[in-house]
Amino acid sequence: MKRGLAIYAALAYAFLHVPLATLVVFSFNASRFTLWEGFSLRWYHTVFTDPEMADAAWNSVIIAVVSTIISTVAGTLAAYALWKRASRTISGSLYLSLVTPEIVTGISLLAFFQWAFRWLGWHLGLYTVILAHISFSIAYVAIVVAARLRTFDPALEEAAMDLGATEWRAFWRVTIPALAPGIVAAALLALTISFDDYVITSLVAGVDSTTLPMVIYALARRGANPSINAISALIVVVFGVLILISERLRKA
Amino acid sequence: MTRRTFLAGALATTACRRDHRPRLNVYNWSAYVAPDTIPNFEKEFGVRVRYVTYESNEEMLAQVITGNSGWDVVFPTHNRIPPMSAMGLLAPLDHARLKNLGNLEAQFQSPSWDRGLRWGIPYMWYGTGIAFNRSVAPAPRSWADLWSPRFKGRLTMLDDPEDVIGASLLKLGLPFESTDPAQLRQAQRALFEQKPLVRAYLNAEVRDQLVSGDVLAAQLWSTTAAQALDAAASLDFVFPAEGFPLYCDNAVILRESRRQPLAHVFLDYLLRPSVSAAIAQSTLTATANAAGRALLTDKIRNSAALYPPPDVIERGEWPGTLPAAAQRLRDRIWTEIKAA
Amino acid sequence: MFRLRFWFLLPARVWFVILFLAPFAIICAYSLLTRGVYGGVERPWTLENYRRLIDPLYGSILLRSILLSAAATAICIVLAFPLALFISRATRRKSLYLHLVILPFWTSFLVRTYAWMFLLRDTGLVNTTLIGLGFLRQPLPLLYNEGAVLLGLVYGFLPFMVLPLYATLERMDPTLLEAAADLGARPWATFFRVIVPLAKPGIWAGAVLVFIPCLGSYLTPDLLGGGKSVMIGNLVQNQFTNARDWPFGSAVSLALMLLTLAALAVVYLRGPKEML
Repeated sequence: MKRGLAIYAALAYAFLHVPLATLVVFSFNASRFTLWEGFSLRWYHTVFTDPEMADAAWNSVIIAVVSTIISTVAGTLAAYALWKRASRTISGSLYLSLVTPEIVTGISLLAFFQWAFRWLGWHLGLYTVILAHISFSIAYVAIVVAARLRTFDPALEEAAMDLGATEWRAFWRVTIPALAPGIVAAALLALTISFDDYVITSLVAGVDSTTLPMVIYALARRGANPSINAISALIVVVFGVLILISERLRKA
Repeated sequence: MTRRTFLAGALATTACRRDHRPRLNVYNWSAYVAPDTIPNFEKEFGVRVRYVTYESNEEMLAQVITGNSGWDVVFPTHNRIPPMSAMGLLAPLDHARLKNLGNLEAQFQSPSWDRGLRWGIPYMWYGTGIAFNRSVAPAPRSWADLWSPRFKGRLTMLDDPEDVIGASLLKLGLPFESTDPAQLRQAQRALFEQKPLVRAYLNAEVRDQLVSGDVLAAQLWSTTAAQALDAAASLDFVFPAEGFPLYCDNAVILRESRRQPLAHVFLDYLLRPSVSAAIAQSTLTATANAAGRALLTDKIRNSAALYPPPDVIERGEWPGTLPAAAQRLRDRIWTEIKAA
Repeated sequence: MFRLRFWFLLPARVWFVILFLAPFAIICAYSLLTRGVYGGVERPWTLENYRRLIDPLYGSILLRSILLSAAATAICIVLAFPLALFISRATRRKSLYLHLVILPFWTSFLVRTYAWMFLLRDTGLVNTTLIGLGFLRQPLPLLYNEGAVLLGLVYGFLPFMVLPLYATLERMDPTLLEAAADLGARPWATFFRVIVPLAKPGIWAGAVLVFIPCLGSYLTPDLLGGGKSVMIGNLVQNQFTNARDWPFGSAVSLALMLLTLAALAVVYLRGPKEML
């Protein structure tokens, strides 16, 4: 049985990774088509010299970083408060937000923004995308931090307060450091989800807020384009490195 | 650094612009400018252009219709102009600022959808027809040919309700712009019959599949077809016998735009013969600019797909704007066809 | 008494009102309004959109979405179980194996879907290889059909099934397996009579994490289905963009939400208590 499982696992991993590996390999293909015509970096050159791509990448990074920071803070605070004393409305709505299909979240936010902007005269833009990303990230952060909180011993906080610390100091000096790995994991999760979100972003983006997934989708709709392979390869590498770093930090 | 200052700094970075040149936001169809069209404009006038592309009128309208999309110049197809102007979305053109207006072809100087060119500048025009692989014999000549079982699985139709429902109406000998519910339902039934033969409903993406031979026949716009023909000698294009729609994409300025003078400068720039010729040469589209057309190479100027001869154009028609109820019915029919 | 509670919950409460409740309320309101001629919403208030939903056409879209999602979930369970078992039993490098499962997930969903388009086209890698090796003379139509959509869904959500299964299997008490062996059970019997039942919380958790997003997915059917296989997600997206019928789109979204809640209710009532 053990041998069988190992063979199966190998096949399963192949299934998971071969499509991506193929993308990466063919990003070095000199030709536009699937026939291999020699090694070339031309698609990477196209990706790096395209100003639209650079703008989109920059936007994606800003949106991901800002929304992650805000949602991690909000989510952690909420998870902690709920752990101390439950609130059915907030935890219910967080859970609901988690299970709502992306398309529904997207159109409801779009409808809300359009309605609000009729009175305010604002446009869709970078900030609407950030707000939308915060909207779906908070629930993810809260869930991960809540899971981590379940392994946290409240006695530590009580001990700190017995020794004279205020609630806030106890939280900040005792709980947060203990929760740190969970918070980092939650932040990483929020970062990834935000960076590669397409559905919600495409609905609420404005003039200035094209993101990398939107560029990829537009290219994909126009037909086969190895530039997509190149961008994908870059994204895979960047996130692979990020995970490696986070793992190193976690073990350190 | 405290969390708060970091946050404030991050938010500030998102708000600050990276340069202070005047901006112009242009939203256009994909593959509709030459690589140097926009950079040259930016250099000559010292402005920065945010240039983003879309694949369908609906995509563009979804943003523009809100009245605060942030775009200055967009490129609707001609039959969207009357409703857009009726809804107050367009800014009237100031002809005094458009010195190069005379460069347009005679037929576009005062077209039926925009007499006197009050709202938009005709930019590129095209028709819908059938692109096919020469290996197919006999070659398709009419919309009815796209219902033939010999194309099963190797046929694509456009992902566009107007074109697809229109093709079905023409195949049945009914008017392209029919608003009669009975006729529209007939067209719908014909499309249900066709669906098993259709590989997919695709727009420009099908070009690569035609070139590689995966797809044998595709309902396609003439400009996309011209691009495919250029890439593969095995392809050909025909305007169907029963009739076909002709479209013209126009550059318009949105009323919400706070940069209308600059937008006029941009439109005038597009009307220059050299600029429009460069675009048409590079993208293989049919320009509405007569002076520009004169500058094209013979091969492109005489391309039957891009610039069909007058007797072919005779068979075509420029679709107008449909009344609301008919539009609603067509949208509904389209949903039903896609869902079947 | 946690005095800081008010401040700690404040960001979440603001989020709740502005980014959760308000949008939801707007959608409810829109679903009862009428479509403007070229988009947008206007009065009169009407139940027309809900009446339209009852049309068998939309019923069939709903059914297709449920069936495809259920199929994808079932396939995911079958594919994920042995893998999760393998990882939970690995003596070393467990963390590596887990990371190898998660790594595809960290790349963009769009990228992964595009990878399959790249592989499955007529001139894609699969067909080119099979033709090159002589197994085929004509390319197989692997793309633009429901099979491709199913494949895309399974591929995209498989990690979501592996992780909860792994979490449950990992906590399984090995002495139970020894006991079964002592009582004379053969490996397959142990598997079906002991392991699978004990893994039920993991299976339910994974099923929820796969079924619900599948139900609402729209990218996969859009790109891999060639615009031919419409799922609920496509319908909603279509009504809000191309068809410009926001009221009807809102009604469909609410129907989708209802379906999601129904699925959750099933889990709540029939699923194992440990899951909650």
